Amino acid sequence: GVFAHLEMLEVQAHEAALKQEEMEEQEEKLARLKARVQELRLQRDELRAKVDLQQKGQLGKEGVVSDPAQPSARAVLEWKIRSVKAMLQIFCLTGISGKLTKRGVCFCISTAYKGTYLDSYYLDLLTKPEVKIHRHSIPIFIPLEQIAKKYLQTDIRRFLSVLSDHLNAYVGRRYQADQLQEHFSDQIEGTLQRNSLHNLLVFNYKVSSENQTFPFNVRLLYGDLCCSLPTEVTISCTPEAPAALAEMAAAHSDLFRRTALHKAFRSISGAGASVD
Amino acid sequence: MDNSICQAYEDEIQSLEEEVKLLTEMYEDCQQESTFFSDEEVLLSIKSFQREFQGEPKGHEFKSDLKAELESLETDLSFLMKFTGIQFTSHSKKTVEKKRNRTVQKHRLSGNCHSFSFQLEFQVLEMKNKESVSVVTTNLNIIMAAGEDSDVSKFVSSTEEQGSLLTFFRSLSSCTEWYEHRRCTFLHFK
Repeated sequence: GVFAHLEMLEVQAHEAALKQEEMEEQEEKLARLKARVQELRLQRDELRAKVDLQQKGQLGKEGVVSDPAQPSARAVLEWKIRSVKAMLQIFCLTGISGKLTKRGVCFCISTAYKGTYLDSYYLDLLTKPEVKIHRHSIPIFIPLEQIAKKYLQTDIRRFLSVLSDHLNAYVGRRYQADQLQEHFSDQIEGTLQRNSLHNLLVFNYKVSSENQTFPFNVRLLYGDLCCSLPTEVTISCTPEAPAALAEMAAAHSDLFRRTALHKAFRSISGAGASVD
Repeated sequence: MDNSICQAYEDEIQSLEEEVKLLTEMYEDCQQESTFFSDEEVLLSIKSFQREFQGEPKGHEFKSDLKAELESLETDLSFLMKFTGIQFTSHSKKTVEKKRNRTVQKHRLSGNCHSFSFQLEFQVLEMKNKESVSVVTTNLNIIMAAGEDSDVSKFVSSTEEQGSLLTFFRSLSSCTEWYEHRRCTFLHFK
């Protein structure tokens, strides 16, 4: 009896001590967090004031402002480094950028559709004893070897230019197909079929005539790999379709040949939603 | 109850840390963009840098890294300008908007490609989402001092209309290949 009772009291005391420890830890943690919040709030308010002052100083001044305090040599160098880095980033926007390496150059080819920048591809070249591709991230369905065979040894600029044409056309075609799926999925019946190179697109879409809807089947072939518009458009409809539809098919066919796919769809559907 | 107070503090800490980071970047961007040092000033700074840390082995490696970094970047830049034929003569940018996942910068760029000199203004919008960063250029304004060449002005207005900065530069660069023969044909990219 007594021993059991003593044991029970011990256990209770132990548990009470643990609870006490836990509570103290919790309180400490809360206090730390609270202090951190106040520290950060102060930091944030100071920064806000600094930035506001900066903005006010900028009002009406379009030109350059030099720091009233004499800047350290280190500050000047750091400024210059950031400045040159910004210029190198601009080169990325031009389509060809790169960095010299120990054994050659690593080029970066950027792609874009109008103003939207898409994928970038890398090409690591060795330049001695002759120009050779060391590593690259060009997709396998782009005829890199063919283009390299033709231009790499004789004219690197031309090589990059032709490769860039292929890559930009490919991402352009892919972008159009993606936009079509994203914005006009309700008009597309079934799936949009496309190959890796995106030079062949097949899909069905609905057209309406005389209060009835008919399916049109479209086959777009992009014969010129450096172009993001199709060279061949085949639109077919069901044999029971009214004659007026044949005219519509011809008009659409012409539209697809001349205009970007998602833009063509926009004019077909007359949708108000802005795309691209 | 304690746990929810803890969580509230932790959430506020995270949001404050993000805000502090953003404000710091804004401050530094603005400092960078409103300052200008000429090439002579930069050269003088490099020299004074080297003088300061000569004979101080401990600080020397760290400090000379800055000089080496600058030299490496300038070598890359001059290589690109020579290779593409596009020489940038001046560049200024201004951050007009900076939020957690959205940055807008205005750029003014001038340069030349052989005898064709250009001035551009454009905006760059960067948006961060979970997986990636998207970059879009807008408000492209091209001024090209190439005289009354109608092909050039047609080309310029078409790329300007499409907002295609990339097309402008690609065409400009490839144009210089033919320029050697004193004839320049601009391809009309769609």
